[in-house]
Amino acid sequence: MIRIAAVGDVHLGEDAQGRLRPALEKLPEHADVLLLAGDLTRHGTPEEARVVAREFHDVGVPVLAVLGNHDYHADAASEVTGVLTDSGIEVLEGDGTVLPVGGKRLGVAGVKGFGGGFEGRCASAFGEPEMKAFVGHTVEIADKLRTALDSLACDVRVALLHYSPVPDTLHGEPLEIYPFLGAYQLGEAVDATGTDLVLHGHAHMGTERGVTPGGVRVRNVAQPVIRSAFTVYCLDA
Amino acid sequence: MSETTGEAPEYLAARLRRVIAEDSRTAELGIQVSVRGEHVYLSGSVSSQQCKEELDAVLHEREPELRLHNDVRVVEAGEPGEPEVLR
Repeated sequence: MIRIAAVGDVHLGEDAQGRLRPALEKLPEHADVLLLAGDLTRHGTPEEARVVAREFHDVGVPVLAVLGNHDYHADAASEVTGVLTDSGIEVLEGDGTVLPVGGKRLGVAGVKGFGGGFEGRCASAFGEPEMKAFVGHTVEIADKLRTALDSLACDVRVALLHYSPVPDTLHGEPLEIYPFLGAYQLGEAVDATGTDLVLHGHAHMGTERGVTPGGVRVRNVAQPVIRSAFTVYCLDA
Repeated sequence: MSETTGEAPEYLAARLRRVIAEDSRTAELGIQVSVRGEHVYLSGSVSSQQCKEELDAVLHEREPELRLHNDVRVVEAGEPGEPEVLR
């Protein structure tokens, strides 16, 4: 059994040091790895990233992360990534990694993801250049996700996202904003690659559990949804 | 129309939501704003008590005449319950 701890949307500001630390002290009792599903900061500044780095430093298990839209707000995503990487957190964006866990291989591929909406109710790359750029960004990221998931040689394959690949886990959010919360192309990439589990955040008012059209379990681990410092999923390898 | 701001409640709610998202002191995208007459109700969740109090401060600064009801929840950060086993 591989035990995966996950949380997204912790939104740590410069004054937030220590908020999650009491729960994290016992993390190795609960899990073999910790996955962070983006929106780790409030404004995406390097100073906030240093708070995140200290909060998740030396927690006793490997920590992998993707960034979220908040982590891009200060136009310093590469510095944020550098701060996290220097502290030992592996930041994924169109790539993946394989970890040995209890004699099995856990593969994790990650991207931020983006919006656009879901099958039959989604944006198309048509018309104004701004619209083409919007949809083009989603398609590019979904293609990177598919390639990264495909390249993992592992026993259990997990996709780590910030935006949602399905509408199921958005229930509770206003329908009108679904296109800003995720895109079906992410789910398509997951379904094409033999993936076992998808973790995402971003939808604070959504629900935890969903499934892709191809039958892959999806979990929304945004902290307001799971209502704890992290939650744990156990997968048979 | 709001007697205080002279605008339709829908536009007032939309404007306050944008303030909450775009003001760097709040930077919250998931807060719901409902306007009923001169009363404004906030719901959703934030990561700390201070973030919740910033909502009050920013909106009061923008619209001091409105009566604000801050029903926003502070997110829990304790240990999790039982793990989910996926088979």
